[in-house]
Amino acid sequence: MNTNSNTYTVVYSTILVMVVAAVLAFAASSLKSRQDDNVKAETISKIITAAGLYEDGCDAKTVYSQNLVEAFLVDAAGEPVGKLAEGEVKVTSDLKAENDNIKAGKSVKLPVYKFNVNNEVITVLPCYGAGLWGPIWGYVALKPDMNTIAGVVFDHKGETPGLGAKIATEPWFREQFAGKQIAKNGEVVAVSIIKGGAPKGDINAVDAISGATITSQALDATLKIWLGQYKEYIAKCAQPAGEDCCEDECECETSENQED
Amino acid sequence: MDANMKETLLKPIFKGNPITVLVLGICSSLAVTVQLQGALVMALSVIIVTGLSSFVVSLLRNTIPNRIRIIVQLVVVAMMVILVDQVLKAFAYSVSKTLSVYIGLIITNCIVMGRIEAFALGNKPIPSLLDGLANGAGYGLILVVVAFVRELLGSGTIFGLRVIPQFIYDAGYVNNGLMILPPMALILLGCVIWIQRSIQKDLQEK
Repeated sequence: MNTNSNTYTVVYSTILVMVVAAVLAFAASSLKSRQDDNVKAETISKIITAAGLYEDGCDAKTVYSQNLVEAFLVDAAGEPVGKLAEGEVKVTSDLKAENDNIKAGKSVKLPVYKFNVNNEVITVLPCYGAGLWGPIWGYVALKPDMNTIAGVVFDHKGETPGLGAKIATEPWFREQFAGKQIAKNGEVVAVSIIKGGAPKGDINAVDAISGATITSQALDATLKIWLGQYKEYIAKCAQPAGEDCCEDECECETSENQED
Repeated sequence: MDANMKETLLKPIFKGNPITVLVLGICSSLAVTVQLQGALVMALSVIIVTGLSSFVVSLLRNTIPNRIRIIVQLVVVAMMVILVDQVLKAFAYSVSKTLSVYIGLIITNCIVMGRIEAFALGNKPIPSLLDGLANGAGYGLILVVVAFVRELLGSGTIFGLRVIPQFIYDAGYVNNGLMILPPMALILLGCVIWIQRSIQKDLQEK
């Protein structure tokens, strides 16, 4: 057979591509559930890291379910609009969908995770936005006053290693968020990430990463947008530090939505 | 095993090592040798990809239309790389995250295409499989050697376990931060090539 004829070449490449596509489609669909489990496990470990529950070598899923008080969804008006099933978390792709809704001005269902950490209720809120090369996301843990940050964790898809990627890896960057406040004069303003260094004593600002201007700005914007979406919910729950948290109030609101 | 087979298997490990002699696949070897675990997984992935793609291309070698030869090879290699990537994502998620884009970039690793062009297109499937596996192993060997030195001196660990005892740190020893950065991988690779050339005199240019 003439393997150099046009017909042969076209038929050959068509068959080859179809075979390869079938193999890959089969592999992708049969491995999907395991991959999703991994993504979920990673999300859980990020969430408990923000809440300050993560220890090296701990079983993230167990720690998560042992310390979780409740996990539910709220809308932009701060009303609970649904509950997350046991062990269910909203992974990055879910956050992306919500971020699209935020941008399009559609109604949102944003996750809220509440943990019991040393007898304090810590609230973990996610954020998601566009970085320099790809998406960046993270979790902000708030103390019972819904204002003071207990901890944060950030991650990214493909920021520049050694520069923007430091939002995920540098401990000093994460640690400077702890103790900062997201509200100023009762308004949720999030935490500003300031290039060249935050003014000393500014309770609403942290230092940016040198050489990673765009990632820093993107993270700054992401935090402002997402915490802004939660502002009604935060206002509803906010109570002075030290007092019992909003827990009761929120809980009865959510239980109205819950039939069982 | 006849002498030919043995030569096919052993030559790429040392005498014709793809990294140190053919100087192929340098860029990924700089990127993934900070830690042994990543290097080892990368090495295994490359061994599988080079072996299986050489095997498949060799099976098809008499049917491949010459004009689209390179594209056909690329499709086969890409399929193998995606399969490896998917399996890692399912079974070794944390490693697959550290290796991130480099698994996908195996497709651009010159060793894979180089061996297919140079060997698999003209040889039977079994020798091609061995040639692919052996070249992957030669690449992996260098990767592991470089990663061993970099992890030991750069982080004081081997496979993430601390091996340099605390009292040495107390005495003033510090990890070499430069080891973690890519330039040091290039220098170490240079040292490996230097050592090999001083053993194997026929590689020295006059």
